[in-house]
Amino acid sequence: MNTPRESLLLKIIAITVAVFVLAPLFLMFATAFKGDEQQILRDFGNANAFWVSPWNMSLENFRDVLSNETFPILKYMRNSAIIVVCIVVIGIFVNSLAAFALARMKFTGRNWLVLFIITLIIVPSESVAIPLLLMMTKVGWVDTLRAQIVPFIAHPFSIFLFYQFFSVIPKDLDEAAYVDGASRWRIYWSVIMPLSLPTVATVAILQSLEYWNAYLWPTMVARSSEVRPVSLALAQFFGTPPPVWGDVMAFSVLMSLPILVIYLAFQRFFIQSAIGSGIKG
Amino acid sequence: MMKMTRRAALVGASVLATASMTTLTTTAFAADPIKVWTHGGKADGERGQLKTMIEAWNAANPAMPAVLEEQPEGAYNDQVQAAAASGSLPDLLDFDGPNYANYAWSGFIQPLDGLVSKEALADMIPSLIAQGTYAPDGKIYGLGMGDSGLALWSRKSLLEKAGVRIPKGVDDAWTMAEFEDALAKLQKVEGITHALDVKLNYGQGEWYTYGFSPIVQSFGGDLIDRTTWKAEGAINGKAAVEAMTHFQSWITAGYVVPKADGDDSFYGKKTSAISFVGHWMWGAHSKALGDDLILVPMPNWGGKHVTGNGGWCWGISKTSTQAENAGKLLNFLLSTKNVATLMNSAGGVPGVKSAAAEVALYKEGGPLNLYLAQLNAGMGYPRPAHPAYPTITASFAKAVADIVDGKPVQDSLNVAAKAIDQNISDNKGYPPFGKM
Amino acid sequence: MNNNRTAWTMLLPAIGMVTLFIVVPFLMSVYFSFTDQRLLVNPNVPTEFIGGRNYLRLFEDGAFQNAFFRTATFAILVVPLQSAMGLAAAMLINSKLPMRNAFRTIYFLPTVISMVVVAVIWSSLYQTEGFFNSAVGALSFGTVPPIDWLNNEYLAMPSLVLLSCWQGFPFQMIIYLAGLQGINKETYEAAQCEGATRWQEFVHVTMPGLRNTHILVGMTTTIFAMKLFTQVQLLTQGGPRDVTDTMVRLIYMTGFKRGEVGKGAAASVIFFILVLVISYIQRKLVKEDRAIS
Repeated sequence: MNTPRESLLLKIIAITVAVFVLAPLFLMFATAFKGDEQQILRDFGNANAFWVSPWNMSLENFRDVLSNETFPILKYMRNSAIIVVCIVVIGIFVNSLAAFALARMKFTGRNWLVLFIITLIIVPSESVAIPLLLMMTKVGWVDTLRAQIVPFIAHPFSIFLFYQFFSVIPKDLDEAAYVDGASRWRIYWSVIMPLSLPTVATVAILQSLEYWNAYLWPTMVARSSEVRPVSLALAQFFGTPPPVWGDVMAFSVLMSLPILVIYLAFQRFFIQSAIGSGIKG
Repeated sequence: MMKMTRRAALVGASVLATASMTTLTTTAFAADPIKVWTHGGKADGERGQLKTMIEAWNAANPAMPAVLEEQPEGAYNDQVQAAAASGSLPDLLDFDGPNYANYAWSGFIQPLDGLVSKEALADMIPSLIAQGTYAPDGKIYGLGMGDSGLALWSRKSLLEKAGVRIPKGVDDAWTMAEFEDALAKLQKVEGITHALDVKLNYGQGEWYTYGFSPIVQSFGGDLIDRTTWKAEGAINGKAAVEAMTHFQSWITAGYVVPKADGDDSFYGKKTSAISFVGHWMWGAHSKALGDDLILVPMPNWGGKHVTGNGGWCWGISKTSTQAENAGKLLNFLLSTKNVATLMNSAGGVPGVKSAAAEVALYKEGGPLNLYLAQLNAGMGYPRPAHPAYPTITASFAKAVADIVDGKPVQDSLNVAAKAIDQNISDNKGYPPFGKM
Repeated sequence: MNNNRTAWTMLLPAIGMVTLFIVVPFLMSVYFSFTDQRLLVNPNVPTEFIGGRNYLRLFEDGAFQNAFFRTATFAILVVPLQSAMGLAAAMLINSKLPMRNAFRTIYFLPTVISMVVVAVIWSSLYQTEGFFNSAVGALSFGTVPPIDWLNNEYLAMPSLVLLSCWQGFPFQMIIYLAGLQGINKETYEAAQCEGATRWQEFVHVTMPGLRNTHILVGMTTTIFAMKLFTQVQLLTQGGPRDVTDTMVRLIYMTGFKRGEVGKGAAASVIFFILVLVISYIQRKLVKEDRAIS
């Protein structure tokens, strides 16, 4: 058991870390709700930066950002939502199906393919970005949502995560089903996938975060407002002088809100599954 | 599985629901509309004005309507490149100054001669015709509604307090010695933490070239030799090094507002005394400083009295299916009334002669008349309209950034010279440019 | 036989797409790196084979050496710091701390925030008149003048490291947490019976128990660090004096921004080889480690 002194020390450290983690987020929210840009600049230099008095809260920045026609944030969020939902939903089927074949079926070339997938995990997307861009240019996909979705559906790391999980599910489960006359497709859908919800969640969460926050690739292929994802839009909004901090922070809040809400709603599950993926990794 | 799917579906549905609340302004057009692209800043009056003009055009020409789309300025050039690559450029688009040379060379845009009326061309101010004329074929590829103005902003009361001479006009502009003396004096004034703001907060980009290359040119240097098209010896020659050494000395002396100080040290915090920036700050500056605001002529830094000029101009894409209509729209934008309206709000130098009298800011005695005086005195020195311009400006801006960061001037400029010359030779001299 | 066909049908979409979008572009990269391929091919200057010129150019002007050195600096700073933070946070949450779950929820927050947002928030903290300067001023009783954090040759990289750690450490925390929970509880009980201090417990039970987790964390964090780009592009654009110019930014600038696909491809190929080497070294380490234990 912990001594009282130890547990006090633990609490102090835990709270210090929490302050370190939360302070920048408080700064973002507080600034977003401050209507007076001059006040924001003054507050940046002291502890007021992290706080806004509830009586002085103003929605002006949000009004500005939401009515900005050069940077239609809701359209950008819609674009990002479409991209993420498509990648995640299609990706889960494509990747788990491949992993199922690799982990639970015997066929010629299987070991070679597992090695191939593991090798591909190492290939950083940054190192193929330039030729991929040229490829997109050639087929006329630049400036489409397609270019931000299709290349990322098949995901070696997701295949690997599914593969690992599928490999440890006892073999007799699907053997039994197979003997009962179920097809491999049926086993995949009715036996293996229902058991793999934690992995599905892990993959969905990891992929969602990756593509909601993607920056390098959209900079290269997302040209018009119609297909611009929200992270790129924020970067451009932030990079257009002069910086209006209230508006920039309001933009940041709007962009972070969906992810924060989803995280807080599903967080237990979220962290549990992340831990799960950690153990197997 | 079911549970998960339902959850996921709920999340997805709520995200999409939020998104669909966006009011999409889609209007149905009978004909294929003229697509127009413009660079959009965050807070300029220009944007609203342009929108009004397009609306006016649509009301008057229902048979050939236009749609305007604003692209963020920061990545505008990239966007144009990407669109050109995929063959999806709009009909009419604007681009920052000398970049058009690369676009013309790459075959993205077509000559405006013949598309824009003779009357409109004759009305253009000479500096804009010069900017838009592509050397290899002598044709005009870009026309701006206004030219830019570059001089120094300051506060009358401050200059008087510090005992600095206020020049009356272009002819008695400060020399380098006077300018540096003024910096030293202003630095000591109470409340002033940095005598000079050169807008380092804009970051390494076109501003660095537009703003600081005139200093180099004043000393007799240049970004590139305009006849041999070699950077070696021009951008890193003795004159250029001398000019940029002065520039660096202002930084090391602590006169210059650092990047992280933000945009408003001159007009908001009032901690800087001289603001070296273009006409576009007129709105913010005049609003904050009122009658105390004063426009000081571009100093004669090194013997040759020059200033930056040129700016955003319109061009018509080669892939445009309705170039003639786009030309008519451009005619409309270049009309006296539209130019006057835009310049009255945005503050640029009116691009057509007929509008000059209608723009109060630029009339004789008007607060911005000095810009016109500078251009009329022949001080305007356009940036080089060469297909290698994107490399030229990027290399010079990089060198400026390095010089600001304290890297030796000669080394920084040598790197730029090499990068430019290498780019030109890698492109075989940009034929037909090399063969002229 | 039937098995074979079903398996390949199931694999086809995934294998087809990874081949098309990873393998083919990679091979194109290698090919382009020996040509002067441009992003926009101009009819006046057709693409040609130029041998090793792209590679030569990359090293000749020192751009690649600099980018490699800066990226390595970032990795050397960020990997130990972020891992240590992750381990510390994981141990806190794994201890008998009251409201552990609430703390875990809070600690994990930064990871769900986009790096673009993180860069925006931290850039306000790094302003000349921002919070860090006030704090430094107050702690030094006004003797230290305001620092331009992101434009200071020596502080720009550490400043980026700090915000990257803030955003990234929860990931390491989660992996370590898993590692900690994988250590046999009885080992701790045995150590306590023998009267081990907390420190001895940490050194002799916790650390050895986490050996494989350390390697996993070290490997993923290093590779993650090598991809440094977003923060740099938003906050310093590689400056001041190139001290934050990274390998990915070099690829981006040459291949995309300047449209020199050939040279960008050459940089991509070297970048890939470096990542491969690191993965290989670390895999070797895992194997040796396993051999020893």
